Amino acid sequence: MTNAIPINIARFIGLFLLQVLFFKPLSWGWEGPFYINVIIYPLFIILLPLRTPMPAALISSFAMGILVDAAYNSWGVHAAASVLTVYLRPLPLKWLQPRDGYNVNHSPTKKRMGWQWFLAYSGIVIAFHLFVYFSLDAFSPVYLKSILLKTLYSFPLSMFFIVILIAIFNPED
Amino acid sequence: MRGLLQLFAAYGGFLLFFVLEAISFTLIVQLNQRQGEIASNSYGMATAYFDQASDWVTDYWGLKNEVVRLQGKNIKLMEELDNARYSNAVNRDTVGQDSATQAYTFIGAHVISNSIISNNNFLRLNRGGRHGVHPNMGVINEEGIVGIVVDTTRHFSQVMSILHSQARINASIKGTGYFGTLTWDGRDPKKMQLNAIPRHAKFVTGDIIVTNSYSHLFPAGIEIGVIESFEEIQGNNFFKIQVELFNDMAAVRNVYVVNNLMREELDKLD
Repeated sequence: MTNAIPINIARFIGLFLLQVLFFKPLSWGWEGPFYINVIIYPLFIILLPLRTPMPAALISSFAMGILVDAAYNSWGVHAAASVLTVYLRPLPLKWLQPRDGYNVNHSPTKKRMGWQWFLAYSGIVIAFHLFVYFSLDAFSPVYLKSILLKTLYSFPLSMFFIVILIAIFNPED
Repeated sequence: MRGLLQLFAAYGGFLLFFVLEAISFTLIVQLNQRQGEIASNSYGMATAYFDQASDWVTDYWGLKNEVVRLQGKNIKLMEELDNARYSNAVNRDTVGQDSATQAYTFIGAHVISNSIISNNNFLRLNRGGRHGVHPNMGVINEEGIVGIVVDTTRHFSQVMSILHSQARINASIKGTGYFGTLTWDGRDPKKMQLNAIPRHAKFVTGDIIVTNSYSHLFPAGIEIGVIESFEEIQGNNFFKIQVELFNDMAAVRNVYVVNNLMREELDKLD
């Protein structure tokens, strides 16, 4: 467990670069009704070790968000969504808690918890994150319909790439 | 200091969350043109809403003064009317403002208690002897007549409502000379009965009932209500007329006490 910090730093950098160098150019249809925006950097939030102190989780997620913002030229939007997502992460973890509880030394990974559990957990986090992100991007409840549509279009693709990443790297912690 | 540290240990997560969200939102609003415009627009809307709310509160507190001010204005206009003046004209060439003497003045008052449910209803006004209100003065409002002052103290007065079994108000059918007595049968607070209109009188339902100059309580020509229905009573030479009042006696708030300046003189003849 001593290598949790370097692992997460590496994951932070890797996911950030992947997001801004590979997935950002993949987004299209910004103004139209059909719209794709693949968001995979919340995987960092998803995979944070269970015993991560809340301040560390908040600050690292804020840093991730603000860096992504810098690349997307959307100052504060990703940061606000990331901070909210990581702050509320204990909720889905509580809902999906196995009968015998978690091992606090583990991370909530597919390898530890299995595909079914991990898909439910990451699905909830990503859907929530996308919804908050598009809400903050629109910044008014007037656009609720377009917020929901964008969330709906972006969710399957984001989940698809997250599953691929997990299948390739299959991290234990 | 220890307490502060404990507080931070307990709520540090939330505080940090709050601070980071505050930073993020500041960035969103400051550095993104679109979101910034929406935010300033919403802020303007919220400001307008609060302005409106505070304006409403101010309005409400200013309302009492406004009522007194408007009553004063109304009284000025009412006293200018012909029915508030006594004309000294005996020839055509003496007709004019100079020949008219003020006959009626008015005192604005506010109803502080009222009832309509008994057979004998009274109102209480917040004006009394100190303001020139005396017994046997009429009380009116913008919609019609309200009652007759029966008793006063220094600051308050008791008014016999027109909805009182003893109320007798002299009234005419507008446009004709026929006059009768308006009474209340104690049932509907929206309806009074006009008696003693002779059988040969010509009128239709919908005709307006007004005060006349035979009573010394009210200026002539104040509209009281409309004829709703009438019936001939067997063996009686008079109609019994149902009058629907213009005035909603259940909702009178601001009234005028009628001061007949020629009252004393008229009483000498009685």
